[in-house]
Amino acid sequence: MRSIHVGFAGNPNCGKTTLFNAYTGANLKVANWPGVTVEKKEGETVYKGQHLKLVDLPGIYSLTSYSIEEKVTRRCVMEDDIDVIVNVVDASALERNLYLTLQLLELGKPVILALNMMDIVEERGMEIDLHRLPEMLGGIPVVPVSARKRTGLDVLMHAVVHHYEEQHSPHVVQYSEDLEEKIAVLEEALHKANPGIVNARWHAIKLLERDEEISKEYPLNLPEVLDKSYEKTIINQKYAYIEEIIEETLFYKEEKGAFTDKVDRVLTHPVWGMPIFFCIMAVVFFLTFAVGDFLKGYFEIALDWFSGAVSGLLTQLSVAEWLVSLMVDGIIAGVGGILTFLPNIFILFLALAILEDSGYMARVAYVMDSLMGRLGLSGKAFLPMVLGFGCTVPAVMATRALEKEKDRRRAILITPFMSCSARLPIYVLFSGMFFERYAMAAAFSMYVIGLLVAILVAFVLHLHDKKKENGTLLIELPEYKTPNGRTIAVYVWEKIKDYLTKAGTTIFVASIVIWFLLNFGTGGMVKDVSDSFGAVIGHWLVPVLAPAGLGLWQVGVALISGISAKEVVVTSFAVLFGISNPNSAEGMASLTSQLGAYGFGALNAYCLMLFCLLYTPCAATIGTIKKETGSLLFTLKTIVFQLLVAWCAATLVFQIGSLF
Amino acid sequence: MTLLEGTPREQYLVKEINTEEAITRRLEALGINEGTALALMNRKRNGALIIKVRGTRWAIGKEIARGILVEPAGGKEGER
Repeated sequence: MRSIHVGFAGNPNCGKTTLFNAYTGANLKVANWPGVTVEKKEGETVYKGQHLKLVDLPGIYSLTSYSIEEKVTRRCVMEDDIDVIVNVVDASALERNLYLTLQLLELGKPVILALNMMDIVEERGMEIDLHRLPEMLGGIPVVPVSARKRTGLDVLMHAVVHHYEEQHSPHVVQYSEDLEEKIAVLEEALHKANPGIVNARWHAIKLLERDEEISKEYPLNLPEVLDKSYEKTIINQKYAYIEEIIEETLFYKEEKGAFTDKVDRVLTHPVWGMPIFFCIMAVVFFLTFAVGDFLKGYFEIALDWFSGAVSGLLTQLSVAEWLVSLMVDGIIAGVGGILTFLPNIFILFLALAILEDSGYMARVAYVMDSLMGRLGLSGKAFLPMVLGFGCTVPAVMATRALEKEKDRRRAILITPFMSCSARLPIYVLFSGMFFERYAMAAAFSMYVIGLLVAILVAFVLHLHDKKKENGTLLIELPEYKTPNGRTIAVYVWEKIKDYLTKAGTTIFVASIVIWFLLNFGTGGMVKDVSDSFGAVIGHWLVPVLAPAGLGLWQVGVALISGISAKEVVVTSFAVLFGISNPNSAEGMASLTSQLGAYGFGALNAYCLMLFCLLYTPCAATIGTIKKETGSLLFTLKTIVFQLLVAWCAATLVFQIGSLF
Repeated sequence: MTLLEGTPREQYLVKEINTEEAITRRLEALGINEGTALALMNRKRNGALIIKVRGTRWAIGKEIARGILVEPAGGKEGER
């Protein structure tokens, strides 16, 4: 039996992906749609012995051919890749969601309507007539589900398996008489010109809308019928029908929808909106440090025990000394040192997930729009920047939401200045070592400086921009809701998994390479680290880094290796100074005293943190920038530019700081 | 008047949309058309504003708001 291909289509924010994930679990194939940077997600599931292939189509509001996402969806559905469409709609915003539904119905493929968020509909005191709704939609199956509460999932799949070959009535929306006449004429002409055309009605409607793709593929010479674009009329008549549907199927038992408006009056207040946003971010960072530190203690005990146990075991087995050194000083110090920062990272991503899932994140775009407007960007460009606090790689990808290529590149250029979670271990370590009581303030200042540098760079670019056109904001503000535990757990787990994978791959390899560079020299294994390859490389950099207060060869090595991943800066210090756990009290004390012996004090530490904040992003980010912009030149320029900014900033701070 | 000159918490009817072609098309697909009723929910001084159309809230920049011509429809948001 061949598998049924099911396409999940729906508006953004309708819970489509949550529903999709509920079927496929983590078992996903994520790739780009051919030729475009739109993510394509595929998964599989089995319902009562029937194999189903599920495709998560991009979130779209309509099926025109104005955006890439819309084109992708349309092509995928038209080209027989899909047997049946599951149209996921947010039942609590039915009026807006039904527009896409009507367009999908016109395509002629079997459609099953999944009424998502029925729990919210109930909460808000609304009722939907589940008998009348399918009648008005051409008799398609309508299944109430809740992706969050995982109800109705089996019923939906049952409908898919049983109705995937069923045609619904092609005349769901009846247009005005004159339009219907035109459609009839066009249908006939289409049949004549293209024998065997499937769904001529849809093609006729598209021709009346002057749709670019269809007009090119099916040209008809009927000037008296196709006298002008009827797009606006067709849209209006669809919406008129939707109003009719809403009138007949949606009932308000009691008035309750004002919750979001009340919250918005505070959170998007004209004056207080921005201070509130900064307070929320400050709380997030406070939690990241405070709660993270509390959990970290347990991690350290475990790591110390593990390190000691491995060392003891290897010695007992009388393993060669170099191998013990590789295992304990190289891998455990490197990878383990990074793992102790896991609690901080966990808290940060948890907070970001809650902000996102509650519906607050979209408001940030509104709140920041006036500030971003002065930089020539729309408030939407601020969202990738906030995501940048988590990880630069998804943040750079998130710039896809910006329509104009120029805005995108500008956002990509400034996003790496937002301090990502990989830089957190560096701040935690160095501010903890050198700033004691003021450690949190020192670390927090990095986030503020990163944000200011990003804004400054965007501002300078805007000043030099001759065209001075502004990005325009147009973004949906979803209803506020209680964050869903499952959604957040999936999000956080994915990030933690990424972090662990990085520790197990990039950082693991980097630890070994660094260990090798520091333990081997031209004459083989060295006793004194200053004879090693690493020392040779580091010494080259000393003159360049000295004005920035970073004139130690060890720092040079750490910074170079930090390009593989920023956490590796910490790893390098651990390996370089032979500290098994840099994140423990003894580890820090030992490192402080060793660095102090070279005259490396608080000012140098601050410059190091600053340099790490601003300099060349990690290898993964560089790769992403290259992939997203498709330009090697732009990528190289970004790298050089960021190196320069980092060096200038650190030098400035060091030179001024040295005067006091 | 343009939407930019509107007063928060008032209801308006769209009279005309006068924005860039691409933006106009997007607004139309979102159900923001001539004759559509909308409520102005919130606005910043000379900046972006929040509207509610067909039960959905949108944040729109001032360039778009300037291109949406409206007339007061009477009534406050919340009196559905």
